[in-house]
Amino acid sequence: MTDITIFQAKKIITMNPSNPEGTHIAVREGRILGVGSLEDVAGWGAYELDDAFKDNVLIPGFVEAHGHIMEGAFWAFPYVGYFDRLGADGTMWKGCTSTGQVMDALKRVEAQMSDPDAMLLAWGLDPLYFPGERMSKVQLDQVSATRPIFVMHASGHMATVNSAMLQKCKITKDSGPGVVIGADGEPNGELHELSGMALAKEALGTLIQSLGTSDAIWHYGYSARNNGVTTISEMGAAQTDDDQVIETLKGVVNDDKFPARLVVTYSFGLSKLSVQEQAKRALALVASDSDKLRFAGVKFLSDGSNQGFTGQSLWPGYYKGEDQGQWNASPEQIKEGVLAFHCAGIQIHCHCNGNLAVEMFIDAVDNALQKSPRWDHRHTVDHCQTATQAQFRRIKALDMCVNLFANHIYFWGDQHRDLVFGPERAAGMNACATALRQGIPFSIHCDCNVTPLGGLLGMWSAVNRVTASGKVLGAHERISAYDALHAVTLGGAYLLKLDSEVGSLECGKRADFAVLAASPLEVDPIAIKDIPIWGTVVGGVIYANKAAGSNVQ
Amino acid sequence: MSTGRVPFTVIGGYLGSGKTTLLNHILRNNPGERIALLVNDFGTINIDAELIERQEGNTIGLADGCICCSLAAGFFVALETVLQQDPLPDRVIVEASGVADPGKIARYGESPSFALDGVIVVVDVETVQARAGDKYVGRTVTRQLASADLLVLNKIDLITPERKREVAAWLARVAPQSRLIEARFGSVPPAFLFGLDGDRTLSTLAANGDDHDHDAGYTTWTHVSPAPTTREAFEEYVRQLPHTVIRGKGFVYLAAQPDRQQIFQLVGPRWTLKPGALWQAEQRMTRIVFIAATPTSLD
Repeated sequence: MTDITIFQAKKIITMNPSNPEGTHIAVREGRILGVGSLEDVAGWGAYELDDAFKDNVLIPGFVEAHGHIMEGAFWAFPYVGYFDRLGADGTMWKGCTSTGQVMDALKRVEAQMSDPDAMLLAWGLDPLYFPGERMSKVQLDQVSATRPIFVMHASGHMATVNSAMLQKCKITKDSGPGVVIGADGEPNGELHELSGMALAKEALGTLIQSLGTSDAIWHYGYSARNNGVTTISEMGAAQTDDDQVIETLKGVVNDDKFPARLVVTYSFGLSKLSVQEQAKRALALVASDSDKLRFAGVKFLSDGSNQGFTGQSLWPGYYKGEDQGQWNASPEQIKEGVLAFHCAGIQIHCHCNGNLAVEMFIDAVDNALQKSPRWDHRHTVDHCQTATQAQFRRIKALDMCVNLFANHIYFWGDQHRDLVFGPERAAGMNACATALRQGIPFSIHCDCNVTPLGGLLGMWSAVNRVTASGKVLGAHERISAYDALHAVTLGGAYLLKLDSEVGSLECGKRADFAVLAASPLEVDPIAIKDIPIWGTVVGGVIYANKAAGSNVQ
Repeated sequence: MSTGRVPFTVIGGYLGSGKTTLLNHILRNNPGERIALLVNDFGTINIDAELIERQEGNTIGLADGCICCSLAAGFFVALETVLQQDPLPDRVIVEASGVADPGKIARYGESPSFALDGVIVVVDVETVQARAGDKYVGRTVTRQLASADLLVLNKIDLITPERKREVAAWLARVAPQSRLIEARFGSVPPAFLFGLDGDRTLSTLAANGDDHDHDAGYTTWTHVSPAPTTREAFEEYVRQLPHTVIRGKGFVYLAAQPDRQQIFQLVGPRWTLKPGALWQAEQRMTRIVFIAATPTSLD
């Protein structure tokens, strides 16, 4: 038995510019000895040749530099969204492209439930895509007249329930403004916003509780494996002041069976401590680091979402629709927090959807740098969806990074063009080519579960910039497949300050790769997202998709 | 006239305007209501340690029947905690965060368990105009002002009378619906914020109408009319009320429904007229108590 394994592949893409390709990769102690031909890498000593991947293409495992554990939580419930989506257990949930298909999917789940009183909870419904046949209690009553059903919409802001749920929760037309009334004067089953959804108390409560479980973290890991992602992140939605939360994370991620590395940023917005104490706590969390679990950086949350009209935008604001711009943390709080964390030497990620929020964060970093100049801080504008060209120039000048949300072009691009920002600004959204031109380090993220986890989809979005209706949005911001692959591998690693460890396949780095059926640099660009993914290797350990679910605890 | 719905008050205002000072003032001057106070941060509320009966997670129970809930776990959890109290509290007061739109939070007060009583926004008169012109928060601040039923002009002692007039004139433009109340250190008569000792007002009213009660800082008067009125005439009457009227509460005698009391409630620009109980032995008449910010000769 030797301690060196050489994996043979059809092709290995390294993202290491001085050694871009090979066919063999030698691994020892979970790290890479070298990539090249068998001859190139055989010299390290006795080895075992593993040719399981001889017909596959290996690339650096994708690095998701802005995701959330919520990706794992909701897979405990059936998905009825419009787009195909790969479940954590490896099930490909076919998109439901009509209300009939939504009903069929729910009927299949219902038929398998043994307890007749149990609620049926589902998620992902997107009625925007079913004009003229909006789902109501009528359709859900056909799924079951007796079992309470609650289907949360993709937006998370509303739900549709059946008559059994209305009766169970005693919801009537007088129950409040969140209850939508149909033509017959009775509730039609739609519950809007928290005030409406909260009326279906048990259903909403069950969904909310699922967010904090270790199962959610496990499922996040499986989802990563299924999508070729070897490093995932929890960008500021974990309660990092709570030691119990930290213990739960350690218990799951450090388990040998957990198939990914997880980077957890400190959650500025969830803390009740003073900023000085927060910075101290963030630094102290490093003591809980392991090979697979890292506590690094801090996450700030500034504005809302553009498609919800709660993002903060510079003049002239939204194209159509009322500006409901919202600050989740005030600009003063962010300025103070940025200074404190910057001075403590901590990397800062700030959620900025609208360009007024981008401006605010750039100003805050500028202020901190004036007071305490620092190099290689890698403070990152996250989402950065609508930054102006001038803002990109300032981002470059201040040595900042950007993490762009290219998937938005596909999922909401049509709405951004027609409703939210208008043609010019929508075409300039998530400007990967601008970041590249200006030499700004950047990554492309999924913000899962807002959009599906996975580097191939992110690449595909940035390379093609095709919207859901099939139109190209912003041809001048398209980038090459190579640049996109860089963004979702080494680019993500750089933004997490892990680029010396992961993100490329080179001697000394961790043996983290995605195992694909074809090279994303060679297929037709429009087919990138459809390349089958065999699984991943993390630290030299193989995690196959087909074993999905077998190691659920 | 209890509807079984808990009165729901939102207190908003930009960071540093004096929301917490106002909340502390309310707790100190509470006339005996069992208040459920929902706050962003326990630490800023002055709670006498001797008053604390129990603390469980996000909730502090006080000896006088009040509770204080943290909003750390979100509105859903905090409002659930409130609704699990037995008996239910007399009133819910929610502290909006400094950057929140209190008008949005007020929507929770329209859910079936609550009855929205008013949106109160605290204004730092020294800084409000600069904030409203600020590049980042200008729109947030003007939206807060516009969503207010009552604007509490705090720190009024720090500016000159001339400046005060300027600020008031400016507020009348950006928040034309809102009524203005002046305050120092968040000191506002509870009658402005919550009315005259709740439901008891009406039983007092039925007994004897007490006109022109000049209390410190505000005026009350009773509008009495024995003749039945029409909805249109009554709406016109309400429209004609001076801007200094902060609150109104009472019965209306409507010609269209002569056997039933109509219950009138007004907070600043917001008012409702809803069917109440049948008239009993008492004389049928419209009888409303108003509270105004300055003496008025109306009526």
